[in-house]
Amino acid sequence: MDLSYLFFLSSGLFLGWSLGANDAANIFGTAVGTKMVRFNTAAVIASIFIILGAVFGGAGTTETLDTLGSVNTLPGAFMIALAAAVTVYWMSRTGVSVSTSQAIVGAIIGWNFYCGESTDVSVIGKIFGTWVLCPLLAGAVSVFLYFLLRLFIRYTRIHILRQDSYVRMGLMIMGAVCAYALGANNIANIMGVFVDSAPFHDFKIDNVVYLTRIQILFLLGGMAIAVGIVTYSHNVIRTVGNNMFKMSPLAALTVVMAQAIVLLLFSSQGLRDFLVSHSLPAFPLVPVSSTQAVIGAILGIGLLKGGRGVNWGITGRIVVGWIVTPLIALVVCFVSLFFLENVFNQVVYQPELNLL
Amino acid sequence: MFNVKISLFSHTKELEQKIDMLHDKIIEASMVFKKAADVYLKEKRSKNYRKLSKEIKTIEHDADVLRRDIENRLYSQNLIPDFRGNILELVENLDKVINEFDEVAHKFYIEQPDIPEKYHERFKELVGQVCECAENLAMASRAFFYDLSAVRDYSKKVYWLEHESDKTTASLKEGVFDSDMELAHKLQLNSFLTEVADIADLAENCIDQLLIYVIKRDI
Repeated sequence: MDLSYLFFLSSGLFLGWSLGANDAANIFGTAVGTKMVRFNTAAVIASIFIILGAVFGGAGTTETLDTLGSVNTLPGAFMIALAAAVTVYWMSRTGVSVSTSQAIVGAIIGWNFYCGESTDVSVIGKIFGTWVLCPLLAGAVSVFLYFLLRLFIRYTRIHILRQDSYVRMGLMIMGAVCAYALGANNIANIMGVFVDSAPFHDFKIDNVVYLTRIQILFLLGGMAIAVGIVTYSHNVIRTVGNNMFKMSPLAALTVVMAQAIVLLLFSSQGLRDFLVSHSLPAFPLVPVSSTQAVIGAILGIGLLKGGRGVNWGITGRIVVGWIVTPLIALVVCFVSLFFLENVFNQVVYQPELNLL
Repeated sequence: MFNVKISLFSHTKELEQKIDMLHDKIIEASMVFKKAADVYLKEKRSKNYRKLSKEIKTIEHDADVLRRDIENRLYSQNLIPDFRGNILELVENLDKVINEFDEVAHKFYIEQPDIPEKYHERFKELVGQVCECAENLAMASRAFFYDLSAVRDYSKKVYWLEHESDKTTASLKEGVFDSDMELAHKLQLNSFLTEVADIADLAENCIDQLLIYVIKRDI
């Protein structure tokens, strides 16, 4: 394998690390914040299931990103991932929980602008639409689940300690589902741009293990996310867990369940096929932000309870971050591509190869 | 994994039973205290009273053992982490109510205050209100563990009974100090009436905390 590929891939792995550091908080932030699940347990569960989701469920959303901008050179892909990673890292440092999806989409549009490629407005509309839809849907689902759980508890009269045990298990199981859905949905953000140029070969051990070259690429991305979770997510988890809205463990479970449902709706090919075959409305397979989903879900419950407990200052900063993140990534990518091409003499775009 | 899960739930079940038993102890202490007060008014420090006083002491001792066990289990098994401190506080306050029953019963046994017959009915009334107050506290606290919405109903009763017990205590004290008894006797009865009424006050404080826990616990 060409070593330069690994060098260029490093920016994608850096982005994966940023995603792990940032987005694990969305999955287990509430569970760890309410002390229901220990950080180590959360980190192990999240790492395993994100890798599984990335490898076995990551194909659907990759296609959408591919139609947004078909990045056909390694240096171009390198710079897109790096611009997104730097944006996510920088925004995270300022204490704003950001969306990796938004950063990568902003960076791809920056690449399109730089290369003079037309950006498919309908795809942009689809992606932007889901960014509005995702938090709204997560909020609505969390409110619905909240009522459902409340009714269930009122009628079953389960002892508070038993409830605690069930909630703890529920948080771990739903955290695992969320992690799988996040891996499936967001791997496209960090590895999608490297798919076209991946130099791997399909991997097979008898009839037991079979991984396509793309799955191997996604496995590497998943591992980078896992490293991000283990090494850097602890602080972000504590922030998300307690800062925005003080929650009870049951509310935390509601938030994680709502997040899992929304992420699966936007990433599961199987679920989409099922909905379509039963004439039900299906959602586009778009990389959505787990940050947006979790914040939508938390706000849903917060507003239902009168909105008094919601920290509107932090919420406002987060929403501003959603608007600013793609713009910063776009600008960073555009400027960096200029330097990469003109200072380092790298080919960031090959017009004749862009067939899509 | 399966074994771990089963064992986790069996520990929880044991603790649930212990918390239930602590509530039973409050109701037991209250019922025995009521009976002891009746016996005292009729027989003063008789064998019967001594037996009932000892019974309350045993209940108090059992409640202490239960409280320590509940506290140990809550911490050693890392149960309900976000709410553990509140449950410990609640359990301790419930235990204080049982301790107060024991202290008052024992004080009657030691000091043998002379309660004139004209105050007997109102004294019984006071003891009845205080005991009912403690029983409703036990029911409110039990409901807190199973059905948050029911806590409010029992709490209302506790507040009402505590208020009534205050009125009864005030009228009794007024009667005592308006009487021709020796000042020392008056002061002794005053002290006893205050201690009996304190049981209802403790129950009321406990309910105040309980209602805050309900707000915190409500998802």
